[in-house]
Amino acid sequence: MHPLSRRSTELGLVIMAGIITAGAYTLASLGKNATIPPIIVPFFIALLGLLLMAHLATRILARGADATLLPLAAMLHGIGYVMIARLNDHLAGLQTTWTFIAIAAYIATLVVVQRAPDLARYKWTFFMIGAGLLLLPLVPGVGRSVGGARIWVRIGPVNFQPGEFAKILLALFFAGYLYERRELISAGTWHIGPLRLPEPRHFFPIVLAWGFSVVVMVGQKDLGSSLLFFTLFVVMLWVATERATFLVIGLLLFGGAAYASFRLFGHVQDRVHIWLDPWSRYQGKGYQIVQGEFAIGDGGLAGAGLGQGHPNLIPAVQNDFIFAGIAEEMGLFGATTLLMSYLLIVGAGLRIAIKAERPFEKLLATGLTTLIGVQAFVIIGGVIRVVPLTGIALPFVSYGGSSLVANYVLLALLMRVSDSSARRNGELPDDPTINERFAARQLRRRLRKQLGATPGDDTLLGNAPT
Amino acid sequence: MNKQIRRLAAGLLVCYVILFVQLNLLQVVKRNTIAANPNNNRAVLRDFDKARGNITTADGVVIATSVPSTDTKFKYQRTYPTGELFANVSGYYTYAFGATKLEKKFTDVLTGQTPAQQIAAITNILSNSDNAGSVQLTMRNDLQQVAKDALGNREGSAIVLDPHTGAVLAMWSYPSYDPNLVATHDSKQAENVLTFLNANPEKPTLANAYQERYMPGSTFKVITASIGLETGVIDFPSMWPNEKSYTPPNTTNPIENFHGEVCGGDLRTVFARSCNTAFANVGVLVGADKMVAGTKAWGIGEPIPFDLPGGAVSHFGEVTDFTNSEALLAIQSFGEGSDAMVPLQMAMVASTVANGGVMMQPYVVAATLDHAGKVLSQTQPKVWKTPISPTTASKMTDLMIGVVNNGTAKCCLQLANGVQAAAKTGTAQLNAPGSPERSHAWIVAFAPAQNPQYAVAVILKGTNAEISAGTGGKLAGPVAKTILDYALAHPLG
Repeated sequence: MHPLSRRSTELGLVIMAGIITAGAYTLASLGKNATIPPIIVPFFIALLGLLLMAHLATRILARGADATLLPLAAMLHGIGYVMIARLNDHLAGLQTTWTFIAIAAYIATLVVVQRAPDLARYKWTFFMIGAGLLLLPLVPGVGRSVGGARIWVRIGPVNFQPGEFAKILLALFFAGYLYERRELISAGTWHIGPLRLPEPRHFFPIVLAWGFSVVVMVGQKDLGSSLLFFTLFVVMLWVATERATFLVIGLLLFGGAAYASFRLFGHVQDRVHIWLDPWSRYQGKGYQIVQGEFAIGDGGLAGAGLGQGHPNLIPAVQNDFIFAGIAEEMGLFGATTLLMSYLLIVGAGLRIAIKAERPFEKLLATGLTTLIGVQAFVIIGGVIRVVPLTGIALPFVSYGGSSLVANYVLLALLMRVSDSSARRNGELPDDPTINERFAARQLRRRLRKQLGATPGDDTLLGNAPT
Repeated sequence: MNKQIRRLAAGLLVCYVILFVQLNLLQVVKRNTIAANPNNNRAVLRDFDKARGNITTADGVVIATSVPSTDTKFKYQRTYPTGELFANVSGYYTYAFGATKLEKKFTDVLTGQTPAQQIAAITNILSNSDNAGSVQLTMRNDLQQVAKDALGNREGSAIVLDPHTGAVLAMWSYPSYDPNLVATHDSKQAENVLTFLNANPEKPTLANAYQERYMPGSTFKVITASIGLETGVIDFPSMWPNEKSYTPPNTTNPIENFHGEVCGGDLRTVFARSCNTAFANVGVLVGADKMVAGTKAWGIGEPIPFDLPGGAVSHFGEVTDFTNSEALLAIQSFGEGSDAMVPLQMAMVASTVANGGVMMQPYVVAATLDHAGKVLSQTQPKVWKTPISPTTASKMTDLMIGVVNNGTAKCCLQLANGVQAAAKTGTAQLNAPGSPERSHAWIVAFAPAQNPQYAVAVILKGTNAEISAGTGGKLAGPVAKTILDYALAHPLG
């Protein structure tokens, strides 16, 4: 596909996502109240307006980027929004605000980050901020526990889950750290028996990541995030070093930590027990997962119809269990659409990683894609009992501002990497960015002053970009 | 690095395939198992999100319907616009406590679940129309109201039948209850109401018209006399001596007439005056074998084939019950002892005499209709029993006219416009040892006597001294008169 026709494709797909969302919104209202929602026209206009803004920003700021990521995210976001609006009017209002902020964050990220490799320079900054955010909920006074997990922070009137942003910052850090040291780490000059391991000092980041995961698991009781961070780091280490040893070591460390926490912590045991047998714990901790299963089973192939099921019976259905609500009302067809969407995002993200030439961008794209793919797998798998349930948001779909904004920032970064490699591969001219043009103008002005040339006379500077 | 990234892609693909497989297991393979879990109430919830069809009387009054709910729990609220008037016919439909009576029995029709409705729903899928069916009753709202008013606040029941078809035109039981209070979506309140109703010794949720049985007293003499006539043991010329008491064989305990009166004469006289001594004698003359066979021919001892569930069964007894006990046979032949009759069946007894000896199956549902008003099923009148010949029926009519003209119902069943009624009264003396005298007041009747349109049975339960002090004729007679007068003056349509 010609890189410039990607934007036309994206425009078409984004409009389709908008139509699907507006159609689902109408159906949900019909199903619930047998009325066409009175605000459907302004809703559709606002929706298309937002999507077109995101599209135009991409067209201007990252026009070589992948054409499918934005429409896929828009469709997931739309289906999630319809579900939230159908569940709770009040939350729908809040989610609308978050939607505007998320799209703004997407555009802002594309504006601020115009050259992907620049990010590598700030890796330690990202690390400090990321680690700080991750530990913030443990600070007395600002951290808050909700539903047993201490993952919330309240500063003034604003509540947020810093972990959602920390995951991106840590992916940035890992990509920056590993692309510098991957050869050192993979060299493996330390021999223990048959194993060839890297110097102990290169173990530092692994131990650090593992330590973070343990802190998150123990201190915040947030199994989902803990699993996500650990997977992220192990995957990135493995891809960076190209050595499966790290995968094995990672799995062993994870297994050890998981087993120890199972033995040590009641809440981990609960999760395992309700995973294996929620039915006998219906009256207690298994209630949510059993209600979820009732909802999913009731959905069948085609679902109860939007607005016609009873997803409200599932506790916290707008957050962790939104997938069960969607499977109930949209059936196997709708739920499979969601699975396919995540799979397509994973495919597009990893394709970006493969196409990227610079190791930093490769690692970054891999990390960001892993975050979305694994996060969706962990929570969907938890809801449908493929893995023990670990509360975490379903990317783009669940209710919640932190998650939505963070995932749009993540999306923008992936788009940036994609655009960057399209330019590097010569698929489209590598024009200077706005920042670069500004810097060039400053430079020219300074040179002119130094050389004493008159304004407008650029002969001394050759054909510098203007 | 690309090799690892491709492997990562493959790994994640495998993860998502696992999700897809599990999703198929839950939504397709194990779907019914999940639905069958006792904690899973989603099927019930779905029913509560659909409008249920109406139950409508023969005169077009809706007694059960669904209206949009004002709460957020369910979309529709089941309501009973006539309140307690038809509670014991419609029953109730609740979220937490199931359904009863017609709401239970015809739930498939009312929710559009019968095979015929489901097939229609498939062809109508594009029009997206609601496929809830409706139930059309034989009962009349106006007649039911008249029966209710005539009975007043006296425990008992009144039943009006069409003698030729068995269609129930009215069937009121007091006390009743307001099913709206039970149908509330507030399960706690519904539970409180049901607990309160069930704690009531008068059992308001039980329709005493067909779910209870009572000692029939002298109304049973219709059955005894008809068996006597049918077996040829007695006829109009048969004579009984004027006596105060009659002592059956093999006992020394005499049977006395009501209030110790002296009573006797020919069949017309003893029937009109309701002599216990005479009918005790008839039972003994007929003998246990033929009495038991005769009562069985009247359907006593057998469940009544009725479209309302949970009916009671009348009782007379088996031949072995009367072996060496002619005293008991004598007592039961005039409606005392262990005789127990369902009021509905007593109405059917009057109805059978009116219908030339043919006993029709009673029914309250005339037809079931689909959402478009197309008939799904229509009740065809069916013969249940033929206990007596047309000749005997005509003789019984003669005897029952005598009760109205010269007998125990003379006081109280002279119908408006000179219409001749035929009847038999009953005052069932309970006489439980050690407790105050108690008696049920009964009447069974039909009119016009020579061209019967309506058959009725009325019972006032002998729960208090006021009712127990009266007789069937004086207490139940006026109720029957009010009902028959109204019905004859206001034929349906």
